Amino acid sequence: MLVMNDIKKVFRTDLVETHALRDFNLQVDEGDFVAVTGPSGSGKTTFLNIAGLLETFEGGQYLLDGQDVSQLNDKARSQLRNEKIGFIFQSFNLIPDLDLFDNVDVPLRYRGFNAAERKRRIESALEMVGLANRMKHLPAQLSGGQQQRVAIARALAGEPRFLLADEPTGNLDTKMAHSVMELLKEINQAGTTIVMVTHDPSLARDAKRNIYVRDGKVSELHSVGQELPDAANA
Amino acid sequence: MLEIGPIFRALMRNKVGAVLIAIQIAITMTIIVNSVFMIVERNEKMQRQSGLDEANTFHISSVGFGEGFNPRSTVEADLAQLRALPGVVDAIQINALPISGGGWSMGLQTEPGAEHDGTGVAVYMVDEHGINALDVEVIAGENFAPSDIRWRASRSPTWPNKVILTKAMVEKLFPDSPWADAVGKTVYINDNDPMIISGIIDKLQAPWVGWDNVENAMLSPERMEFTATRYLIRTQPGQRDRLMPEVEEMLASSNKQRVIRGMRTVEEDRERSYRGDSAMIKILTTVMVILTIVTALGIVGLASFSVNRRRKQIGTRRALGASQGAILRYFMLENFLISSVGVVLGAGLTIGLNILLVNTFEMNPMNWYYIPIGMLVLWLVGQVAVYGPARRAAGIAPATATRTV
Ligand SMILES: Nc1ncnc2c1ncn2[C@@H]1O[C@H](COP(=O)(O)OP(=O)(O)O)[C@@H](O)[C@H]1O
Ligand SMILES: [Mg+2]
Repeated sequence: MLVMNDIKKVFRTDLVETHALRDFNLQVDEGDFVAVTGPSGSGKTTFLNIAGLLETFEGGQYLLDGQDVSQLNDKARSQLRNEKIGFIFQSFNLIPDLDLFDNVDVPLRYRGFNAAERKRRIESALEMVGLANRMKHLPAQLSGGQQQRVAIARALAGEPRFLLADEPTGNLDTKMAHSVMELLKEINQAGTTIVMVTHDPSLARDAKRNIYVRDGKVSELHSVGQELPDAANA
Repeated sequence: MLEIGPIFRALMRNKVGAVLIAIQIAITMTIIVNSVFMIVERNEKMQRQSGLDEANTFHISSVGFGEGFNPRSTVEADLAQLRALPGVVDAIQINALPISGGGWSMGLQTEPGAEHDGTGVAVYMVDEHGINALDVEVIAGENFAPSDIRWRASRSPTWPNKVILTKAMVEKLFPDSPWADAVGKTVYINDNDPMIISGIIDKLQAPWVGWDNVENAMLSPERMEFTATRYLIRTQPGQRDRLMPEVEEMLASSNKQRVIRGMRTVEEDRERSYRGDSAMIKILTTVMVILTIVTALGIVGLASFSVNRRRKQIGTRRALGASQGAILRYFMLENFLISSVGVVLGAGLTIGLNILLVNTFEMNPMNWYYIPIGMLVLWLVGQVAVYGPARRAAGIAPATATRTV
């Protein structure tokens, strides 16, 4: 479970203060699939970064699996990230100098699994995304959709409880986007909680639950099937 | 968790920079290790003692002129004056000076006859004060007695019948018997002229510091009836600089039929004789320092470049669970791998260059332990150089993963 109460996040530069999140409240339950929409600059990425322990916050309370994370040091945060959270990025973020096997291996090594265990997990994760036969390929040799599948395999190989995705289909064409979405739905069905930022309402509709962020706040909640406000397409 | 495998594989897909740095490390190691070896060798050579009380000894030349100049009475009067001077430990007339660069050498042999080879030896003509003035110790046999001392005429071909040798010379002449047993034995100079070894001294170097036989020296019991001659003066500690002008003035005024010149301390002689060696040490040190700095900067440059190029990758690794420590270790380890290739290559090149130097310049072969020490030092240079960029990499925010395109 992921609970945020009145989270505040301010970006300060010499000239301006940006209130990226103001009193952000959200509860994501076990097994949920939440699609987050909202205009550009509304704070979606900031929310996801805080949820994924990539960024700290100024006020409020964040409980990840019941644990208050605000006081943790870098090492503990990194470990928590590694064990409980899988990340998927808009531009895939595969490491260009590593083949698919080594890419999926990255989080597993930080986890400290032994070689046999890592190999087993890498193979089954790549199997799941249909790329087991391309383990020795470099990311550049794959299409965007395939790269994102590798990224999903990498995110899931450690069997995290949460999968956080920031516009995972943003760089893909419609067909590939939908096939990635199908994959995410399967993963969710298998028990992984997913929070996905997207600007594609048709994909958002496929999620179990939609939230809409504006001006750093969760302004409206929608159940599946309801129409999204126009601003979601911004 | 060490990630040697993936780091190595990633490096192999991006090798140009890494290979260049590895080669630079190898060349630097080759030059540094050989330089250090040469410096150590030169330094050892420069550290050798002459046997003299170097800090408190100087010498001065006297050149007589004119019909009435009497070398014998001049030397006798000069020595009497010098030895009586307060602050002077002892003074002698001598034909040449250790480590000064110029002197006499002869060959000594244990059997008479021109068919035998002689062993080269530096000749010092001194009277019974020689032992004290030169600050050497008679470790077997005895010093010359005043009655042993003869006058040597200019261009005389003959030699006295007694000689004192350095221990090193004795050991060369009689390698098969204990050195102390040489006292009383006869050696031959000029092929056939016998000299009986009356004493052995601990140490006295020849005038030529680059000579292989620099430890071979003999004392011949004589004073010289030469118009041009030299005195060696040993003073009490701290008195040398005060006495030098005093002695110069005294000798100049005591006898108007000669010129006093060429006054120099043994320390100056040492400095002059080893000037080439100290220059070489300075040059090699400079080259080493510059090379090390250049290599370190190269490592810093490559690492900074690769950190900047991989900002997003670093953010992604952080997002996937790498702690700051893990990122720091990644770059330290990557450098370690590059350095390892460099120092292994460097070890080979170092040995190669040394063999080349041994064959072309008659240098000594390098001691084996220079190689591992050199490898260790260059590994360390690499780790120190990469630490800054690695720290910056570790400081890259995890959010870089989501905030950059
Ligand atoms: N590192 C940063 N420094 C300053 N302002 C930032 C930074 N990151 C994000 N912001 C600002 O915070 C606000 C929210 O950004 P973000 O969460 O990325 O929005 P979204 O993902 O919804 O487009 C924006 O106004 C953005 O400009
Ligand atoms: Mg965003």
